[in-house]
Amino acid sequence: MDMALPKRGVAHHLAALLTSAVAVALVTALVFGLDAFAPALSLGVLYVFAVLPVAVLFGLAYGLLVSVASMLAFNWFFLPPTHTFRLTDGENWIALAVYLVTALVVSALAARSRAREAEAERRALEASLLARVAQELLQSEHVQDELREISVRVAEALGVARARIELDSVRRPDPGESALELRAGDRSVGRMFVDSEPDPEIGERVATSLASLLAVALDRERLARRAVEAEALRRSDAIKTAILRAVSHDLRSPLTAIRTATDGLESVELELSEADRAELLATIDAETRRLDRLVANLLDLSRLELGVAEPKPELWTVESIVGQALNELGPRAERVRVALAPDLEPIEVDGAQIEHVLVNLIDNALKFSPDAPIELISEQLDGVAVVRVVDHGPGLSEGELTRIFEPFEQGRVPSRGSGLGLAIAKGFAQANGAQLEAESSPNGGASFVLSLPSKS
Amino acid sequence: MSGRILVVDDEPRILHALETTLRGAGYEIETAATGEDALTKAKLRPPDGMILDLVLPGMSGVEVCRELRGWSDAAVVVLSVVGDEAEKVAALDAGADDYVTKPFGMEELLARLRAALRRAQPETEPVLRIGDLEIDLAQQAVRRNGSLLQLTPHEFRLLKLFALNEGKLLTQRKILSEVWGAAYQTESHYLHVYVSQLRRKIEPDPARPRYLLTETGVGYRFVAPKS
Repeated sequence: MDMALPKRGVAHHLAALLTSAVAVALVTALVFGLDAFAPALSLGVLYVFAVLPVAVLFGLAYGLLVSVASMLAFNWFFLPPTHTFRLTDGENWIALAVYLVTALVVSALAARSRAREAEAERRALEASLLARVAQELLQSEHVQDELREISVRVAEALGVARARIELDSVRRPDPGESALELRAGDRSVGRMFVDSEPDPEIGERVATSLASLLAVALDRERLARRAVEAEALRRSDAIKTAILRAVSHDLRSPLTAIRTATDGLESVELELSEADRAELLATIDAETRRLDRLVANLLDLSRLELGVAEPKPELWTVESIVGQALNELGPRAERVRVALAPDLEPIEVDGAQIEHVLVNLIDNALKFSPDAPIELISEQLDGVAVVRVVDHGPGLSEGELTRIFEPFEQGRVPSRGSGLGLAIAKGFAQANGAQLEAESSPNGGASFVLSLPSKS
Repeated sequence: MSGRILVVDDEPRILHALETTLRGAGYEIETAATGEDALTKAKLRPPDGMILDLVLPGMSGVEVCRELRGWSDAAVVVLSVVGDEAEKVAALDAGADDYVTKPFGMEELLARLRAALRRAQPETEPVLRIGDLEIDLAQQAVRRNGSLLQLTPHEFRLLKLFALNEGKLLTQRKILSEVWGAAYQTESHYLHVYVSQLRRKIEPDPARPRYLLTETGVGYRFVAPKS
């Protein structure tokens, strides 16, 4: 058992001394009071009530102090000749010795149980602290972010004012600081710096547990990061594959058509009428345009994804942008029935980008309703000009309504384009503060709704 | 139509294709693969027109344009790529007359070149007839199929500018400074709205303009509608 006075403050020792003195005085007063009713010698045992609380509260050293002080007080006040430390009666010597031994044993037992209790309390504190730390580390994504919080708890457990945990640190402690190595097995996690030397045993125990927790949390963090990276890589691979597949299909079909047409025109064996030649030439023309559009779409998509498609907003009328879009689409746009509201307010957007949105929407609608006319209608709501492109194609399923704007999503009829047009339309709409949504029309077909904020 | 055209492109296949087709269209052709080469050749034998790729090794097309304009007023049509509006506008501001976007149709290029080669006509004719429109410059009156259209003074000046430059690309800057004055040449904000108003008066279907076409991000072009 540790006999040394625990390292405590002066206040603690003053309190211990004061309590000891009061305890001895109280018991002495009690013995005075009872002296009339019982022989003084038999009352000496009452001093145990002075020894016990002091030993429990302040430990063995003060217990012993009170034991000795009690015997001296008992001798002085009650054993004849009183008011001296001398003893006349031999049996009083024996009584005093017995009392002293009893007091010593009691105070030793009390102090030990007190120490055990304190130890148990401390361990419980440490355990609950480590549990909290473990919980914090498990809930957090970044160990580094939690260190400050953990340091506060650790300082509490170590009984020091301040602690600082530094991961992967090999820094020497500053003056007035001491360092605890945080090691999990043979792996160094870092160092903990405290502003005063903690109990070495506790320090060792806390540092070891903390180091293990930190090591696990750091490993977990590293693994999680690696998993995210792997996922990102896998996704970008999937996108690349989708691009390559879409592009190679979309490049190859117009190329095949062009090749066939030029071969036909070159052939000396074929007897082509003037109409046949014109048709082959028209095929070449149409397919080159398709290739051109594909390249432009890929370029737009990459600009949107890189975030370099900065819009240049100007004041436009919806009518003029619709006009440009129809113009851009050429003769194919003849199937579009346009009904614009007369009261549309001007919009402040990048004309080229919104034109692009409309071209892609109309192009998509034309593709999916190859025979029926499509409608372009508009209305002015409060502060928003709404343009709808309505087709009479197969329509969209519930899931397709949102998925349709993902790049390389081909929607209703597969392999009728690269699935880039709507993704680009959405991207440009958003870049201009406009909204683009897909709806299913009640009478079949799909409807794409572009909401353009009016310039007030 | 004839004239001497200098074709500048660093891509030999495009150069060859242009040379063949333009020669077929009756032009005399000289070619250059770099901007420096083009300027040297233009100094030795000044051409009537130039077809100039904007992306060249070394000196850029815009720089060639700017330098050429220091001593030549040859018609310049630049070749640009999709999406590069800023480069297009820079070339037009540096003095190019028009542009086509690669890949372009030959017919389109020939039409642009023809319009650019045509010098601005002095206002000799008091009445311009374009499509169904009849623009009386002296009377400041516009008729469509014989019926009089009510135009505000700004709308008339806008239409007059367009009509006198039929087939030519007019940049926003050019239109603004001609119609509203030099101080307004960067106020492109309201131009589109004015054009929309004008379209409502002169176009049979304003949502499908046939006369007044927008070159998005660059400017406008007034054409006789294809019948």
